[in-house]
Amino acid sequence: MGARRPARRAPVRKPVAGTPPWVMPAAVVAGLALLIGAFLIIRWYTTPLPPTPPSKDSTAQIVSTITALPASEFDTVGQGTANNLVKPISGQALTGSTGKPEVFYYGAEFCPYCAAQRWPLIIALGRFGTFTGLQTTTSSSNDVYPNTVTFTFRNATYTSQYLDFRAVETTDRDQNPLQSPSPSEQQLVNSYDSGGTIPFIDVANRYAASGAMYTPDTIGGMSWLAVADSLKQPDSTQARAIIGSANLITAAVCKATGDKQAEVCSSAMIQGLEKNLK
Amino acid sequence: MSRPQIVAVLVSLAGIAVSIYLTLLHYAGVVPGCPVTGPMNCEAVLSSPYALIAGLPVPTSAAGIVWFGVSAVLWLRPLSWIHLAWSAVGLATVVYLVFVEIVRLGVVCLWCSAAHVLVIAIVLITLTVWPARDTVKE
Repeated sequence: MGARRPARRAPVRKPVAGTPPWVMPAAVVAGLALLIGAFLIIRWYTTPLPPTPPSKDSTAQIVSTITALPASEFDTVGQGTANNLVKPISGQALTGSTGKPEVFYYGAEFCPYCAAQRWPLIIALGRFGTFTGLQTTTSSSNDVYPNTVTFTFRNATYTSQYLDFRAVETTDRDQNPLQSPSPSEQQLVNSYDSGGTIPFIDVANRYAASGAMYTPDTIGGMSWLAVADSLKQPDSTQARAIIGSANLITAAVCKATGDKQAEVCSSAMIQGLEKNLK
Repeated sequence: MSRPQIVAVLVSLAGIAVSIYLTLLHYAGVVPGCPVTGPMNCEAVLSSPYALIAGLPVPTSAAGIVWFGVSAVLWLRPLSWIHLAWSAVGLATVVYLVFVEIVRLGVVCLWCSAAHVLVIAIVLITLTVWPARDTVKE
């Protein structure tokens, strides 16, 4: 019986290497997991510690410095580099406990954007009245822009012949609950800050602003005193951002209060900003 | 088209949709709805300098549209080295952006993470089908 030549088979595709197909994807996933772990460790070790808070006397001096800046400083800076977040709103006029137009602030101590925005808010309101009880604090060490230096409104009081001020700091810098808004204040937040962005500022239900008007990075790594000193230089990065933001808030307050604080509101610069507020 | 190709094209289209959404929100000045506290914070990420390409007024998500768009076109064609190279580009970019989120900013944007996961999915599809390409005919 002669051997039969086997029939020619069609070419068969055969893997060259014996490596299973799942090895490379699994290696990539494992590598990514390792990288993310390494990033978290780097983040942990590079997060700076919060700066040492100034003494009570120094705090008072810093507050005095930023609330007594000369009018020429404000006029020179104008809007500066501030992002105009002030939007017109309509609703029943918001009045405070003394019946004057109220500025309502809603934020939290951990929040870096609130930390940034408190500087111009204090400076602006300082032109219409007087703060007492402001304390220094920093934003969270574990959030973006960690340890941004600022003040807290938690124990602060404000007196003015032109307006009332009410602040709610919902949590401390470690996100523990701190203060709660009243039902009517919560209604303001729901109505005019539907995105839930903090800080939220309502100027007498005439204007509202959500978020910070400049990036907290502007004062990143600085001490309270260094920020206050930088504000004395109108051409400094900090002054152009913070005083520019303060001027926008001032313009909103002036317009909402009928320019009653003439010394501040009659400035050509403020009048110009008021026109842009609509 | 093979099943991996179909999946890769669909993932690319999903990536285009996410990237377009983020780009539109950027130009509208709106922050996407996602948690804004703790380690999740879209606002912090999307308003950071890293959300723009080289400081230009072009959001990083626009690069996402381009990457996923090219990826979708590539996967309509037979697997080649271009797929592998394009996946490497995407993976390297994702690693950099995750580094920025975790190390530089300390927070993560959920919508950005969705786009990152889609890039990684395409990378994994590429690597899964790649060995089958290295075959010989007997």
